[in-house]
Amino acid sequence: MKQQGIWPYLLLVAGLIGLQFSGSNYLTNLANFVAIQALPAIGLSLLMGYTGQISLGHAAFYGLGAYGSVLLATLLGVNMWLAMVLAAVLVGIAAWALGWLVFRLEGHYLAMATLGFGIIVHVILVEMHDWTGGPNGMTGIEPMNLFGHEFYSDKQVFPIVWGACILGIFFAESLVRSPVGLLMRGVSENGRVVASLGASPDRMKRLVLMVSGIYAAVAGALYARYVGYLSPGPFDVGFSIKLLLMVAIGGFAQIWGVLFGVAFVALVSELLKPLGGYDIIVFGVLLVVAVVYCRDGLLQTLFAGVRGTLRLARKSVS
Amino acid sequence: MSEFVQLLISGLMVGSIYGLIGIGFTTIYNVTGIVNFAQGDFAMVGALSAIMFYAAGSPLWVAIILAIILVGLLATLIERFAIRPIGTHVTRGIIATIGVGVVLQGAAVLIWGSDAQPMPAFSGDRPFNLWGTTILPQTLWIFGTAATLMVLLYLFFQKTYPGKIMRACAINPFAAQLMGIRLNAMRTFSFLLSGMFGAIGGIIVAPIALTQYDSGIGLGIKGFVACIIGGFGNPIGAAVGGLLLGVLEAMSSGFISSGFKNAISFVLLLLFLSVRSGGLLGDLEKVGR
Repeated sequence: MKQQGIWPYLLLVAGLIGLQFSGSNYLTNLANFVAIQALPAIGLSLLMGYTGQISLGHAAFYGLGAYGSVLLATLLGVNMWLAMVLAAVLVGIAAWALGWLVFRLEGHYLAMATLGFGIIVHVILVEMHDWTGGPNGMTGIEPMNLFGHEFYSDKQVFPIVWGACILGIFFAESLVRSPVGLLMRGVSENGRVVASLGASPDRMKRLVLMVSGIYAAVAGALYARYVGYLSPGPFDVGFSIKLLLMVAIGGFAQIWGVLFGVAFVALVSELLKPLGGYDIIVFGVLLVVAVVYCRDGLLQTLFAGVRGTLRLARKSVS
Repeated sequence: MSEFVQLLISGLMVGSIYGLIGIGFTTIYNVTGIVNFAQGDFAMVGALSAIMFYAAGSPLWVAIILAIILVGLLATLIERFAIRPIGTHVTRGIIATIGVGVVLQGAAVLIWGSDAQPMPAFSGDRPFNLWGTTILPQTLWIFGTAATLMVLLYLFFQKTYPGKIMRACAINPFAAQLMGIRLNAMRTFSFLLSGMFGAIGGIIVAPIALTQYDSGIGLGIKGFVACIIGGFGNPIGAAVGGLLLGVLEAMSSGFISSGFKNAISFVLLLLFLSVRSGGLLGDLEKVGR
């Protein structure tokens, strides 16, 4: 196996430090959302790219993590960090249980079952007024604080969310390079072969769904504390599809590619803001183009194109 | 008692729409092996374009026929440029059809705005009484259209030569090609048919429910659930599943709570997928491993 490269991390950290020196609050805010959304996207990439199982309900884990961490903190009166961990563990367990139910299915059926799960959770968030505040949501969520120090502004939250994101990337990379990662790829290629080697493909799938759910839950909890306000809107099926788009642009089974996908989608969203509601046309077209014509992700396809052109150019020169 | 009958009738009516959408799924699935996640959006585009043609001054029936043809052609274009390049890869097929659905919704906002739009009923909207319940004439139109189309499609697939060719493409595309069947033509035809079915479903329900850009999602999902309940790939199963789902939904929103109506159909979906994933009439082999 290839050794884990340290260069991407150094480049990323250098870029982030540079961004801090630019002093722009707008860019910091955008970068924070990239970090928060990168976590569920990487989780989805572990499940879809590496293990070959589709999920259209990842927004539900994200939402359960967000609402769960806040509710646990207020209801049990525990410390918010402990509540985050508890919420992540509970969502992990829920994902494991869901896996037990849905991984009897494959392909279209799996897609629709996970979509159903996502919609059920969204309906629950809207309908359980007493707990979630219904469509109005919950306001006045306390910002993160550690030893009496509050993390409120974009700049203060920045190191926390990016720290979590880099940890998430590191763990995901370690996972896919480990023997478990090989099994994951095996399940994606051919579950029967994995079973014949004495490993249970269904257990693998459940495990990856659990890890993936925890990624989304942690991101949701950070989101709740950062934004300070929760409503069911950001956790609907639309967000699951956006995650799908990020992973597709990133090339499915490429963790750094997925980070690029998240940043790309965030930038495109910002550029399309003047279009208002019409931006989803662009996202839809991007999704189709990414899946149909850029099978290894946008970046790889562009590189391949550039390389091809360079080769042609060199040939014509010589 | 009369409340029960009223709910039953409205359930059957909504259920026939679910059944029609479900049949659209079935038609594409039986030929290409792809589940078209944009199926509900065909219904939405059908209804909105019929409303547009009608507003432009054409008689209602002309507007409806134009809309059905338009959606059919649109579906063939989608097959050619978004679905065919993917081949048989299931996950990519799902994602591509989801992308198509998103584009259709965005285009609908662009063209028709995001307001819900009404459509005139086919033959007046003066309700009449039957056994103590109130029925809209449009209800009869829905029952009639759905039943006719379902029976015709069933006969087409089971009894006619082109229908058998289409089923052959689904069972073994390679062998079908060896027999001289032009697979791509059949795929295009299935999308044409399915787009038209979707449009009809959307149009006949439009007079009793307002249509807007995102009406398709709900219809599409319910249609899929109808297919799952009945057994995927079986048009009769889709019809039965649709009716069952419609009635259960109407009853639950009438006697329990309307807010949880959507969740109930998904609980049903998860239940069927996990307990009897072959559906009521389907065969289990196709679904499980």
